[in-house]
Amino acid sequence: MDAAQALVMAMQTWGIIGGLVAAVFLTIGMDRIDEDARGAYIFRPLLIPGVLLIWPIVLWRWWQIETEAAGWAGRYRAVRGWYGVSVIAMSIAIVAVVITGFAVRQTWPADAEPVQLSTGDSQ
Amino acid sequence: MSDKPFFVGYLPVPGPLRIFLLSVCVVLIGGLAAAGYIMGVTQDDPGPGAFRFDYGRQTVTGVVEMTPYPVIHVTKGNDRIKPGDSFMMTAGGKSGVDSRAMPLNGQLAEVSGIILERGDLYMMQLRGGRNGLKAAEGDAPEIVAEPQGRWQLTGEICDGKCLAGAMRPGRGLAHKACANLCLLGDVPPIFVSSQPVLGEEFLLVTGPDGTRLPRAAYDYVAQFITAEGEITRRGDLLVWEIDTDTIKVTP
Repeated sequence: MDAAQALVMAMQTWGIIGGLVAAVFLTIGMDRIDEDARGAYIFRPLLIPGVLLIWPIVLWRWWQIETEAAGWAGRYRAVRGWYGVSVIAMSIAIVAVVITGFAVRQTWPADAEPVQLSTGDSQ
Repeated sequence: MSDKPFFVGYLPVPGPLRIFLLSVCVVLIGGLAAAGYIMGVTQDDPGPGAFRFDYGRQTVTGVVEMTPYPVIHVTKGNDRIKPGDSFMMTAGGKSGVDSRAMPLNGQLAEVSGIILERGDLYMMQLRGGRNGLKAAEGDAPEIVAEPQGRWQLTGEICDGKCLAGAMRPGRGLAHKACANLCLLGDVPPIFVSSQPVLGEEFLLVTGPDGTRLPRAAYDYVAQFITAEGEITRRGDLLVWEIDTDTIKVTP
């Protein structure tokens, strides 16, 4: 398996798990943790793309609320706690990616001359 | 109550925050402008390739040859395309015309479509169905392949259609995925040589012994490479049969 296949498989696996989480959460989980959502169904398909992307956070919050592991504010604290670090890390990563891209970019080999290794029948 | 300054959008900015807000504005606007400028000036020139709709629809007659990519050797031209010219053909979108050209291999045919042109390189995007490619009356002259020997070339494999002008840029890493999709759709691949070889900068690139470009070469599309292979002149077109085992990426 080469790098491209591995990337595609990783994304497919992430998406499949996200789809399963979306199916369970939007049909069962949401009713269990959010009484305001009970009986409301039209908006739920709109959440599918988001759940596909951030299903680990969906599961984590579901678990936090379901088990009452934290007060209502505490359910969000762990995620918020990473915001600052994430913003700095992503800012550095963007600059690093751009600089690395420029650094490893090939230069057009304008000086490379064609080399004839053997003559053809018509020469 | 805290004495820390607090920003409210519809109220005057508190004094201690003014310099901070001004600095953020300057850095943000100046930084984005600088980033945009740097990105822009570091991009490669996309080149002069373009669809030549200004030429109008071109219709010529010639001999179809599968190299294995379809090429037409013009026998009866017009005011723009002269007899003796050889050019490649493509369909609309990311598709080739192999299925239409194959039954006419070695025969005289009339082709009609729009020219894509980039310097010495041009190809024709054919009209749909028989309007674009149909058998013509007359005897087809024999096209003699002239072997030019084995060559080591340096340059880039591109898809011929985007390179000739369907896309800007039509080459380079930014265009790699598009190029590979075109090649998968049977658009003829082109090798852009770092320097002219036998007077040509652009060569049709195929696999050895008249086969299609091997899938192993697709990984190197849009990268600058060195490789070896036999060159054959067909009409006024050079065909390079690349040996994928010799491909090396240049620094």
